Amino acid sequence: MSDRAVQDALIRALADAPFRGSPAWRTRELANQERLERFARFLARHYYYERLAHFFKYSRALARVTGRPPEAVLTSPAFDALLPTLVLGSRASAVAVAGLAQEHVRGGATAAVPYLEDLLAYEHGMMVVESGARLWRDGSPDPADQQRSKPVRVEGTMLLDLQVDLPLVLPLLLRPWTEVPQAPRRPTRLLIARSRRGRVSVARTSSAIATLLELADGRKTMDDLAREAGLRPAELEATLDELVEIGAVRFSTGS
Amino acid sequence: MGDLKVGAFYNPHLGEALAGASGIDHLAMADPPRGDDPWWPKIRERYTLLLHDYLGQLSEPLDEHAIQRARSLAELYKSPWVAEHFQCLHTENGTYNLNYVFPPLYTEEFLDRFAANASALQARLDQPLVMENIPGFFDVAASRLPEPVWLRRFFDRTNLGFLLDLPHIWLEAHYKGADPKVFLGEFPLERVVELHVAGVSEDRDLQGPWIAPTAPSDEMLDLMVHAVARCPNAKAVTFDAFSPTLSADVLFASVARIRKALRN
Repeated sequence: MSDRAVQDALIRALADAPFRGSPAWRTRELANQERLERFARFLARHYYYERLAHFFKYSRALARVTGRPPEAVLTSPAFDALLPTLVLGSRASAVAVAGLAQEHVRGGATAAVPYLEDLLAYEHGMMVVESGARLWRDGSPDPADQQRSKPVRVEGTMLLDLQVDLPLVLPLLLRPWTEVPQAPRRPTRLLIARSRRGRVSVARTSSAIATLLELADGRKTMDDLAREAGLRPAELEATLDELVEIGAVRFSTGS
Repeated sequence: MGDLKVGAFYNPHLGEALAGASGIDHLAMADPPRGDDPWWPKIRERYTLLLHDYLGQLSEPLDEHAIQRARSLAELYKSPWVAEHFQCLHTENGTYNLNYVFPPLYTEEFLDRFAANASALQARLDQPLVMENIPGFFDVAASRLPEPVWLRRFFDRTNLGFLLDLPHIWLEAHYKGADPKVFLGEFPLERVVELHVAGVSEDRDLQGPWIAPTAPSDEMLDLMVHAVARCPNAKAVTFDAFSPTLSADVLFASVARIRKALRN
Protein backbone atom coordinates (compact mmCIF):
# COMPACT_ATOMS: atom_id res chain seq x y z
CA MET A 1 0.00 0.00 0.00
CA SER A 2 1.34 3.46 -0.91
CA ASP A 3 1.79 6.17 1.70
CA ARG A 4 -0.92 8.12 -0.14
CA ALA A 5 -3.32 5.24 0.43
CA VAL A 6 -2.39 5.17 4.12
CA GLN A 7 -3.04 8.91 4.32
CA ASP A 8 -6.44 8.35 2.68
CA ALA A 9 -7.29 5.76 5.31
CA LEU A 10 -6.28 8.20 8.02
CA ILE A 11 -8.40 10.97 6.52
CA ARG A 12 -11.33 8.59 6.23
CA ALA A 13 -10.94 7.54 9.86
CA LEU A 14 -11.10 11.17 10.94
CA ALA A 15 -14.08 11.95 8.71
CA ASP A 16 -16.14 8.77 9.04
CA ALA A 17 -17.15 7.87 12.60
CA PRO A 18 -18.57 4.38 11.85
CA PHE A 19 -15.37 3.47 9.96
CA ARG A 20 -13.32 4.82 12.85
CA GLY A 21 -15.04 2.41 15.18
CA SER A 22 -14.77 -0.60 12.89
CA PRO A 23 -12.29 -3.49 13.26
CA ALA A 24 -11.08 -2.69 9.72
CA TRP A 25 -9.64 0.55 11.05
CA ARG A 26 -8.79 -0.38 14.63
CA THR A 27 -6.69 -3.39 13.71
CA ARG A 28 -4.39 -1.18 11.63
CA GLU A 29 -3.15 0.54 14.80
CA LEU A 30 -1.93 3.56 12.85
CA ALA A 31 -2.54 6.04 15.66
CA ASN A 32 -3.58 6.28 19.26
CA GLN A 33 -7.32 5.68 18.99
CA GLU A 34 -8.30 7.87 21.90
CA ARG A 35 -6.39 10.89 20.62
CA LEU A 36 -7.64 10.29 17.08
CA GLU A 37 -11.21 10.22 18.40
CA ARG A 38 -10.72 13.53 20.20
CA PHE A 39 -9.33 15.14 17.08
CA ALA A 40 -12.13 13.69 14.94
CA ARG A 41 -14.75 15.19 17.25
CA PHE A 42 -12.97 18.54 17.10
CA LEU A 43 -12.99 18.32 13.30
CA ALA A 44 -16.69 17.41 13.18
CA ARG A 45 -17.67 20.40 15.29
CA HIS A 46 -15.50 22.66 13.15
CA TYR A 47 -16.82 21.18 9.90
CA TYR A 48 -20.46 21.76 10.79
CA TYR A 49 -19.79 25.13 12.41
CA GLU A 50 -18.49 26.36 9.05
CA ARG A 51 -21.53 25.01 7.26
CA LEU A 52 -24.11 26.33 9.71
CA ALA A 53 -22.38 29.72 9.77
CA HIS A 54 -22.58 29.86 5.99
CA PHE A 55 -25.88 28.21 5.08
CA PHE A 56 -27.89 29.34 8.12
CA LYS A 57 -26.56 32.90 8.11
CA TYR A 58 -30.06 34.36 7.68
CA SER A 59 -31.35 32.54 10.76
CA ARG A 60 -28.19 33.76 12.47
CA ALA A 61 -29.08 37.34 11.52
CA LEU A 62 -32.55 36.79 13.01
CA ALA A 63 -31.15 35.39 16.27
CA ARG A 64 -31.48 38.72 18.07
CA VAL A 65 -35.24 38.30 17.57
CA THR A 66 -35.58 34.53 17.86
CA GLY A 67 -32.91 34.14 20.53
CA ARG A 68 -31.71 31.02 18.71
CA PRO A 69 -28.37 31.23 16.88
CA PRO A 70 -28.31 28.05 14.73
CA GLU A 71 -24.70 27.16 15.52
CA ALA A 72 -25.58 26.78 19.21
CA VAL A 73 -26.74 23.23 18.40
CA LEU A 74 -23.11 22.22 18.00
CA THR A 75 -22.58 22.31 21.75
CA SER A 76 -25.87 20.55 22.50
CA PRO A 77 -26.29 16.97 23.78
CA ALA A 78 -28.25 16.26 20.58
CA PHE A 79 -25.18 17.00 18.45
CA ASP A 80 -22.96 14.99 20.79
CA ALA A 81 -25.34 12.09 20.29
CA LEU A 82 -24.88 12.35 16.52
CA LEU A 83 -21.08 12.28 16.68
CA PRO A 84 -20.71 8.47 16.55
CA THR A 85 -22.75 8.42 13.33
CA LEU A 86 -21.37 11.40 11.42
CA VAL A 87 -19.55 11.10 8.12
CA LEU A 88 -18.23 14.55 7.25
CA GLY A 89 -19.59 15.61 3.88
CA SER A 90 -22.21 12.89 3.57
CA ARG A 91 -25.77 13.75 2.69
CA ALA A 92 -27.21 11.83 5.63
CA SER A 93 -25.03 13.74 8.08
CA ALA A 94 -25.89 17.07 6.45
CA VAL A 95 -29.60 16.22 6.77
CA ALA A 96 -29.16 15.29 10.43
CA VAL A 97 -27.17 18.38 11.44
CA ALA A 98 -29.28 20.81 9.39
CA GLY A 99 -32.35 19.22 10.97
CA LEU A 100 -30.99 19.90 14.44
CA ALA A 101 -30.42 23.54 13.51
CA GLN A 102 -33.95 23.82 12.13
CA GLU A 103 -35.48 22.43 15.31
CA HIS A 104 -33.37 24.69 17.45
CA VAL A 105 -34.39 27.86 15.60
CA ARG A 106 -38.06 26.80 15.52
CA GLY A 107 -38.02 26.65 19.31
CA GLY A 108 -37.29 30.37 19.63
CA ALA A 109 -39.43 33.51 19.53
CA THR A 110 -40.56 33.24 15.92
CA ALA A 111 -43.77 35.31 15.81
CA ALA A 112 -42.08 38.22 14.05
CA VAL A 113 -40.84 35.93 11.26
CA PRO A 114 -43.97 34.52 9.58
CA TYR A 115 -41.86 33.08 6.75
CA LEU A 116 -39.56 31.18 9.10
CA GLU A 117 -40.55 27.74 7.80
CA ASP A 118 -39.72 28.77 4.24
CA LEU A 119 -36.42 30.23 5.41
CA LEU A 120 -35.47 27.10 7.32
CA ALA A 121 -36.41 24.89 4.38
CA TYR A 122 -34.19 27.02 2.14
CA GLU A 123 -31.22 26.94 4.53
CA HIS A 124 -31.63 23.21 5.13
CA GLY A 125 -31.83 22.63 1.37
CA MET A 126 -28.67 24.64 0.68
CA MET A 127 -26.69 22.71 3.28
CA VAL A 128 -27.92 19.33 2.07
CA VAL A 129 -27.31 20.07 -1.61
CA GLU A 130 -23.74 21.16 -0.80
CA SER A 131 -22.94 17.77 0.73
CA GLY A 132 -21.40 14.87 -1.16
CA ALA A 133 -18.07 14.08 -2.77
CA ARG A 134 -16.66 16.82 -4.92
CA LEU A 135 -14.17 17.17 -7.71
CA TRP A 136 -10.90 18.62 -6.40
CA ARG A 137 -8.89 18.48 -9.59
CA ASP A 138 -9.60 18.46 -13.29
CA GLY A 139 -9.31 14.93 -14.52
CA SER A 140 -10.11 13.37 -17.81
CA PRO A 141 -13.38 14.76 -19.13
CA ASP A 142 -16.32 12.69 -17.98
CA PRO A 143 -17.46 10.74 -21.03
CA ALA A 144 -21.00 11.33 -19.86
CA ASP A 145 -20.45 15.06 -20.30
CA GLN A 146 -18.97 14.77 -23.74
CA GLN A 147 -21.80 13.06 -25.51
CA ARG A 148 -24.80 15.39 -25.45
CA SER A 149 -27.47 12.84 -25.94
CA LYS A 150 -29.71 12.13 -22.95
CA PRO A 151 -29.86 14.68 -20.12
CA VAL A 152 -30.17 13.39 -16.59
CA ARG A 153 -30.96 15.33 -13.44
CA VAL A 154 -27.95 15.21 -11.10
CA GLU A 155 -28.63 13.41 -7.83
CA GLY A 156 -29.17 15.88 -5.02
CA THR A 157 -30.50 18.69 -7.19
CA MET A 158 -33.45 20.16 -5.32
CA LEU A 159 -36.63 21.96 -6.30
CA LEU A 160 -38.00 23.96 -3.40
CA ASP A 161 -41.56 25.31 -3.30
CA LEU A 162 -42.01 28.29 -1.00
CA GLN A 163 -45.04 30.31 0.11
CA VAL A 164 -43.15 33.63 0.01
CA ASP A 165 -40.71 35.33 -2.34
CA LEU A 166 -37.74 34.51 -0.13
CA PRO A 167 -34.95 35.77 -2.47
CA LEU A 168 -36.30 39.30 -2.05
CA VAL A 169 -35.87 39.33 1.72
CA LEU A 170 -32.57 37.45 2.09
CA PRO A 171 -30.20 40.35 1.34
CA LEU A 172 -32.24 42.62 3.63
CA LEU A 173 -31.69 40.26 6.55
CA LEU A 174 -27.93 40.71 6.28
CA ARG A 175 -28.12 44.51 6.35
CA PRO A 176 -28.77 46.59 9.47
CA TRP A 177 -32.48 46.50 10.42
CA THR A 178 -34.64 47.48 13.38
CA GLU A 179 -37.86 45.70 12.38
CA VAL A 180 -37.66 42.24 10.88
CA PRO A 181 -37.75 42.58 7.07
CA GLN A 182 -40.81 40.85 5.62
CA ALA A 183 -41.14 38.74 2.50
CA PRO A 184 -43.97 39.23 -0.01
CA ARG A 185 -46.42 36.34 0.06
CA ARG A 186 -46.10 34.85 -3.42
CA PRO A 187 -45.57 31.20 -4.40
CA THR A 188 -41.94 30.82 -5.43
CA ARG A 189 -40.10 27.82 -6.77
CA LEU A 190 -36.31 27.66 -6.45
CA LEU A 191 -33.78 25.31 -7.95
CA ILE A 192 -30.75 24.47 -5.79
CA ALA A 193 -27.87 22.65 -7.45
CA ARG A 194 -24.20 22.00 -6.91
CA SER A 195 -21.40 21.95 -9.44
CA ARG A 196 -18.89 19.09 -9.50
CA ARG A 197 -16.43 21.44 -7.76
CA GLY A 198 -18.89 21.97 -4.91
CA ARG A 199 -20.27 25.43 -5.76
CA VAL A 200 -23.93 25.72 -4.73
CA SER A 201 -26.22 27.80 -6.96
CA VAL A 202 -29.80 28.93 -6.48
CA ALA A 203 -32.10 30.08 -9.25
CA ARG A 204 -35.75 30.98 -9.60
CA THR A 205 -37.36 28.31 -11.67
CA SER A 206 -40.07 28.45 -14.27
CA SER A 207 -42.55 25.63 -14.63
CA ALA A 208 -40.86 24.66 -17.91
CA ILE A 209 -37.51 24.17 -16.14
CA ALA A 210 -39.17 22.26 -13.32
CA THR A 211 -40.86 20.01 -15.86
CA LEU A 212 -37.59 19.54 -17.68
CA LEU A 213 -35.85 18.50 -14.47
CA GLU A 214 -38.61 16.04 -13.65
CA LEU A 215 -38.38 14.54 -17.12
CA ALA A 216 -34.57 14.38 -17.34
CA ASP A 217 -34.11 10.77 -16.29
CA GLY A 218 -31.27 9.79 -18.63
CA ARG A 219 -33.58 7.80 -20.87
CA LYS A 220 -35.43 10.53 -22.76
CA THR A 221 -33.77 12.06 -25.79
CA MET A 222 -33.51 15.78 -26.50
CA ASP A 223 -36.46 15.45 -28.89
CA ASP A 224 -38.54 13.74 -26.20
CA LEU A 225 -37.74 16.49 -23.71
CA ALA A 226 -38.46 19.33 -26.12
CA ARG A 227 -41.82 17.82 -26.95
CA GLU A 228 -42.87 16.95 -23.40
CA ALA A 229 -41.63 20.19 -21.80
CA GLY A 230 -43.09 22.30 -24.59
CA LEU A 231 -39.78 23.93 -25.47
CA ARG A 232 -38.37 24.78 -28.88
CA PRO A 233 -35.03 23.03 -29.62
CA ALA A 234 -33.05 26.26 -29.26
CA GLU A 235 -34.75 27.04 -25.93
CA LEU A 236 -34.07 23.53 -24.73
CA GLU A 237 -30.38 23.77 -25.67
CA ALA A 238 -29.98 27.12 -23.91
CA THR A 239 -31.82 25.94 -20.80
CA LEU A 240 -29.81 22.75 -20.61
CA ASP A 241 -26.56 24.70 -20.98
CA GLU A 242 -27.50 26.75 -17.93
CA LEU A 243 -28.56 23.69 -15.95
CA VAL A 244 -25.32 21.90 -16.80
CA GLU A 245 -23.33 24.97 -15.80
CA ILE A 246 -24.80 25.05 -12.29
CA GLY A 247 -24.61 21.28 -11.93
CA ALA A 248 -28.33 20.46 -12.04
CA VAL A 249 -28.10 18.31 -15.18
CA ARG A 250 -25.47 16.19 -16.85
CA PHE A 251 -25.56 14.17 -20.02
CA SER A 252 -25.86 10.44 -19.91
CA THR A 253 -24.43 8.18 -22.59
CA GLY A 254 -27.76 6.43 -22.57
CA SER A 255 -26.13 3.04 -22.41
CA MET B 1 13.82 43.44 14.42
CA GLY B 2 12.95 46.99 13.43
CA ASP B 3 12.76 46.13 9.73
CA LEU B 4 10.12 43.47 10.18
CA LYS B 5 6.67 44.28 8.88
CA VAL B 6 3.86 43.51 11.32
CA GLY B 7 0.37 42.74 10.11
CA ALA B 8 -2.79 40.69 10.52
CA PHE B 9 -5.39 38.82 8.49
CA TYR B 10 -8.12 40.64 6.65
CA ASN B 11 -11.37 39.89 8.45
CA PRO B 12 -14.20 41.34 6.34
CA HIS B 13 -16.46 41.95 9.35
CA LEU B 14 -13.74 44.30 10.64
CA GLY B 15 -13.34 45.99 7.25
CA GLU B 16 -14.36 49.46 8.41
CA ALA B 17 -11.98 49.42 11.38
CA LEU B 18 -9.12 48.03 9.30
CA ALA B 19 -9.69 50.55 6.50
CA GLY B 20 -9.07 53.37 8.97
CA ALA B 21 -6.45 51.70 11.14
CA SER B 22 -2.83 52.60 11.71
CA GLY B 23 0.05 50.46 12.91
CA ILE B 24 -0.68 47.54 10.56
CA ASP B 25 1.74 47.07 7.67
CA HIS B 26 0.06 44.25 5.79
CA LEU B 27 -3.01 42.05 5.65
CA ALA B 28 -3.04 38.38 4.71
CA MET B 29 -5.99 37.35 2.57
CA ALA B 30 -7.51 33.97 3.52
CA ASP B 31 -10.49 34.37 1.19
CA PRO B 32 -11.03 36.37 -1.98
CA PRO B 33 -12.82 39.68 -1.38
CA ARG B 34 -16.60 39.46 -1.53
CA GLY B 35 -18.25 41.43 -4.29
CA ASP B 36 -20.44 43.26 -1.77
CA ASP B 37 -17.61 44.21 0.63
CA PRO B 38 -17.74 48.04 0.75
CA TRP B 39 -14.31 48.27 2.40
CA TRP B 40 -12.37 46.17 -0.07
CA PRO B 41 -11.35 49.07 -2.40
CA LYS B 42 -9.85 51.00 0.53
CA ILE B 43 -8.19 47.92 1.96
CA ARG B 44 -6.62 47.09 -1.39
CA GLU B 45 -5.41 50.65 -1.86
CA ARG B 46 -4.02 51.01 1.64
CA TYR B 47 -2.31 47.74 2.50
CA THR B 48 0.31 45.35 1.25
CA LEU B 49 -1.73 42.17 0.77
CA LEU B 50 -0.42 38.63 1.16
CA LEU B 51 -2.09 35.77 -0.68
CA HIS B 52 -2.87 33.14 1.94
CA ASP B 53 -5.85 31.35 0.41
CA TYR B 54 -6.43 27.63 -0.02
CA LEU B 55 -4.87 27.02 -3.42
CA GLY B 56 -4.91 23.24 -3.28
CA GLN B 57 -3.15 20.40 -1.52
CA LEU B 58 0.30 19.81 -2.93
CA SER B 59 0.29 16.08 -2.34
CA GLU B 60 -1.16 16.17 -5.85
CA PRO B 61 -0.28 18.48 -8.73
CA LEU B 62 -2.51 21.54 -8.91
CA ASP B 63 -4.68 21.55 -12.01
CA GLU B 64 -4.82 24.44 -14.46
CA HIS B 65 -7.95 25.87 -12.83
CA ALA B 66 -6.21 26.10 -9.44
CA ILE B 67 -3.02 27.54 -10.93
CA GLN B 68 -4.91 30.23 -12.83
CA ARG B 69 -6.86 31.07 -9.68
CA ALA B 70 -3.61 31.42 -7.69
CA ARG B 71 -2.09 33.60 -10.40
CA SER B 72 -5.08 35.89 -10.63
CA LEU B 73 -5.36 36.31 -6.84
CA ALA B 74 -1.63 37.03 -6.54
CA GLU B 75 -1.99 39.65 -9.26
CA LEU B 76 -5.12 41.15 -7.69
CA TYR B 77 -3.36 41.51 -4.32
CA LYS B 78 0.07 42.40 -5.79
CA SER B 79 1.23 39.91 -3.20
CA PRO B 80 5.00 39.90 -2.53
CA TRP B 81 4.83 36.14 -1.94
CA VAL B 82 2.26 33.37 -2.14
CA ALA B 83 1.59 30.97 0.74
CA GLU B 84 0.41 27.38 0.84
CA HIS B 85 0.44 24.72 3.57
CA PHE B 86 2.00 21.34 4.13
CA GLN B 87 -1.41 19.74 4.23
CA CYS B 88 -3.24 16.73 2.92
CA LEU B 89 -6.84 17.03 4.05
CA HIS B 90 -8.93 15.27 1.42
CA THR B 91 -8.68 11.82 -0.06
CA GLU B 92 -7.31 11.46 -3.54
CA ASN B 93 -10.75 10.58 -4.93
CA GLY B 94 -12.47 13.49 -3.16
CA THR B 95 -14.84 11.32 -1.12
CA TYR B 96 -13.60 12.40 2.30
CA ASN B 97 -12.63 15.94 3.23
CA LEU B 98 -11.65 17.23 6.66
CA ASN B 99 -12.10 20.90 5.74
CA TYR B 100 -9.30 21.72 8.15
CA VAL B 101 -5.53 21.80 7.86
CA PHE B 102 -4.05 18.35 8.40
CA PRO B 103 -0.43 17.32 7.84
CA PRO B 104 0.75 14.63 5.43
CA LEU B 105 2.66 11.57 6.54
CA TYR B 106 6.30 12.58 6.84
CA THR B 107 7.69 9.98 4.46
CA GLU B 108 9.91 9.82 1.39
CA GLU B 109 6.87 9.38 -0.85
CA PHE B 110 5.18 12.52 0.44
CA LEU B 111 8.48 14.41 0.33
CA ASP B 112 8.75 13.55 -3.37
CA ARG B 113 5.15 14.52 -3.97
CA PHE B 114 5.30 17.87 -2.17
CA ALA B 115 8.71 18.80 -3.61
CA ALA B 116 7.61 18.06 -7.17
CA ASN B 117 4.20 19.69 -6.92
CA ALA B 118 5.34 22.79 -5.02
CA SER B 119 8.19 23.29 -7.52
CA ALA B 120 5.71 22.94 -10.38
CA LEU B 121 3.46 25.55 -8.77
CA GLN B 122 6.42 27.87 -8.17
CA ALA B 123 7.32 27.62 -11.84
CA ARG B 124 3.89 28.96 -12.76
CA LEU B 125 3.85 31.84 -10.26
CA ASP B 126 5.43 35.27 -10.69
CA GLN B 127 6.00 35.55 -6.91
CA PRO B 128 8.01 33.39 -4.48
CA LEU B 129 6.08 30.52 -2.94
CA VAL B 130 6.33 30.01 0.83
CA MET B 131 5.10 26.92 2.66
CA GLU B 132 3.55 26.81 6.14
CA ASN B 133 4.00 24.05 8.74
CA ILE B 134 0.88 22.32 10.06
CA PRO B 135 0.53 20.83 13.55
CA GLY B 136 -0.28 17.23 14.30
CA PHE B 137 -2.39 16.40 17.33
CA PHE B 138 -1.34 12.75 17.39
CA ASP B 139 1.55 10.69 16.06
CA VAL B 140 0.98 8.40 13.10
CA ALA B 141 2.89 5.15 13.01
CA ALA B 142 3.37 5.37 9.24
CA SER B 143 5.24 8.70 9.48
CA ARG B 144 8.90 7.77 9.06
CA LEU B 145 10.77 11.06 9.42
CA PRO B 146 10.66 13.70 12.15
CA GLU B 147 8.76 16.74 10.86
CA PRO B 148 11.73 19.16 11.14
CA VAL B 149 13.93 16.78 9.14
CA TRP B 150 11.25 16.35 6.48
CA LEU B 151 10.79 20.12 6.22
CA ARG B 152 14.52 20.77 6.01
CA ARG B 153 14.87 18.26 3.18
CA PHE B 154 11.87 19.81 1.41
CA PHE B 155 13.33 23.31 1.56
CA ASP B 156 16.81 22.13 0.56
CA ARG B 157 15.35 20.40 -2.45
CA THR B 158 12.99 23.18 -3.57
CA ASN B 159 14.69 26.35 -2.32
CA LEU B 160 11.26 27.73 -1.39
CA GLY B 161 10.56 30.01 1.57
CA PHE B 162 9.26 28.88 4.96
CA LEU B 163 6.19 30.41 6.57
CA LEU B 164 6.82 29.51 10.20
CA ASP B 165 3.62 29.16 12.18
CA LEU B 166 4.74 29.54 15.79
CA PRO B 167 1.52 28.45 17.52
CA HIS B 168 1.72 25.24 15.49
CA ILE B 169 5.22 24.64 16.84
CA TRP B 170 4.11 25.56 20.37
CA LEU B 171 1.14 23.16 20.22
CA GLU B 172 3.21 20.27 18.91
CA ALA B 173 5.78 20.85 21.63
CA HIS B 174 2.99 21.02 24.22
CA TYR B 175 1.47 17.72 23.15
CA LYS B 176 4.90 16.06 22.92
CA GLY B 177 5.82 17.39 26.34
CA ALA B 178 8.82 19.18 24.80
CA ASP B 179 10.31 22.64 25.35
CA PRO B 180 8.97 24.82 22.48
CA LYS B 181 12.27 26.69 22.08
CA VAL B 182 14.27 23.49 21.87
CA PHE B 183 11.78 21.97 19.42
CA LEU B 184 11.80 25.17 17.35
CA GLY B 185 15.57 24.93 17.04
CA GLU B 186 15.22 21.75 15.00
CA PHE B 187 13.42 23.56 12.15
CA PRO B 188 15.18 25.20 9.17
CA LEU B 189 14.84 28.74 10.49
CA GLU B 190 17.21 30.23 7.94
CA ARG B 191 14.47 29.61 5.35
CA VAL B 192 11.82 31.62 7.18
CA VAL B 193 10.28 34.52 5.25
CA GLU B 194 7.19 35.14 7.40
CA LEU B 195 6.09 34.16 10.90
CA HIS B 196 2.57 33.62 12.19
CA VAL B 197 1.73 34.42 15.79
CA ALA B 198 -1.63 33.77 17.45
CA GLY B 199 -3.38 32.85 20.65
CA VAL B 200 -4.50 29.45 21.86
CA SER B 201 -7.38 28.45 24.08
CA GLU B 202 -8.71 25.31 25.70
CA ASP B 203 -10.80 23.12 23.40
CA ARG B 204 -13.35 20.78 24.96
CA ASP B 205 -12.95 18.03 22.36
CA LEU B 206 -9.16 18.06 22.38
CA GLN B 207 -9.09 18.46 26.15
CA GLY B 208 -6.18 20.81 25.72
CA PRO B 209 -5.12 24.00 23.95
CA TRP B 210 -5.58 24.71 20.26
CA ILE B 211 -5.40 27.69 17.93
CA ALA B 212 -8.10 30.26 18.62
CA PRO B 213 -8.95 33.82 17.57
CA THR B 214 -7.56 35.21 20.80
CA ALA B 215 -4.59 37.37 21.73
CA PRO B 216 -1.16 35.71 21.93
CA SER B 217 0.01 34.97 25.45
CA ASP B 218 3.20 36.39 26.93
CA GLU B 219 4.76 32.94 26.47
CA MET B 220 3.89 32.97 22.76
CA LEU B 221 5.33 36.45 22.34
CA ASP B 222 8.49 35.35 24.11
CA LEU B 223 8.74 32.41 21.70
CA MET B 224 8.25 34.85 18.83
CA VAL B 225 11.11 37.07 19.98
CA HIS B 226 13.28 33.98 20.41
CA ALA B 227 12.35 32.77 16.91
CA VAL B 228 12.78 36.10 15.13
CA ALA B 229 16.32 36.37 16.48
CA ARG B 230 17.05 33.04 14.72
CA CYS B 231 15.31 33.82 11.42
CA PRO B 232 17.78 36.11 9.62
CA ASN B 233 15.72 36.27 6.42
CA ALA B 234 12.31 36.95 8.00
CA LYS B 235 10.46 39.88 6.48
CA ALA B 236 7.10 39.88 8.25
CA VAL B 237 5.21 38.78 11.33
CA THR B 238 1.46 38.26 10.99
CA PHE B 239 -1.15 37.96 13.75
CA ASP B 240 -2.86 34.81 12.52
CA ALA B 241 -6.54 35.13 13.40
CA PHE B 242 -9.31 34.85 10.83
CA SER B 243 -12.75 34.29 12.28
CA PRO B 244 -16.16 35.98 12.41
CA THR B 245 -15.82 35.88 16.20
CA LEU B 246 -12.60 37.91 16.23
CA SER B 247 -13.15 41.39 17.69
CA ALA B 248 -11.43 44.56 16.52
CA ASP B 249 -10.09 45.09 20.04
CA VAL B 250 -8.33 41.72 20.07
CA LEU B 251 -6.91 42.23 16.58
CA PHE B 252 -5.52 45.72 17.21
CA ALA B 253 -4.28 44.93 20.73
CA SER B 254 -2.54 41.78 19.48
CA VAL B 255 -0.76 43.61 16.68
CA ALA B 256 0.30 46.32 19.13
CA ARG B 257 1.64 43.70 21.57
CA ILE B 258 3.58 41.99 18.78
CA ARG B 259 5.11 45.33 17.80
CA LYS B 260 6.01 46.12 21.38
CA ALA B 261 7.59 42.71 21.93
CA LEU B 262 9.64 43.17 18.74
CA ARG B 263 10.48 46.77 19.71
CA ASN B 264 9.21 47.61 16.26
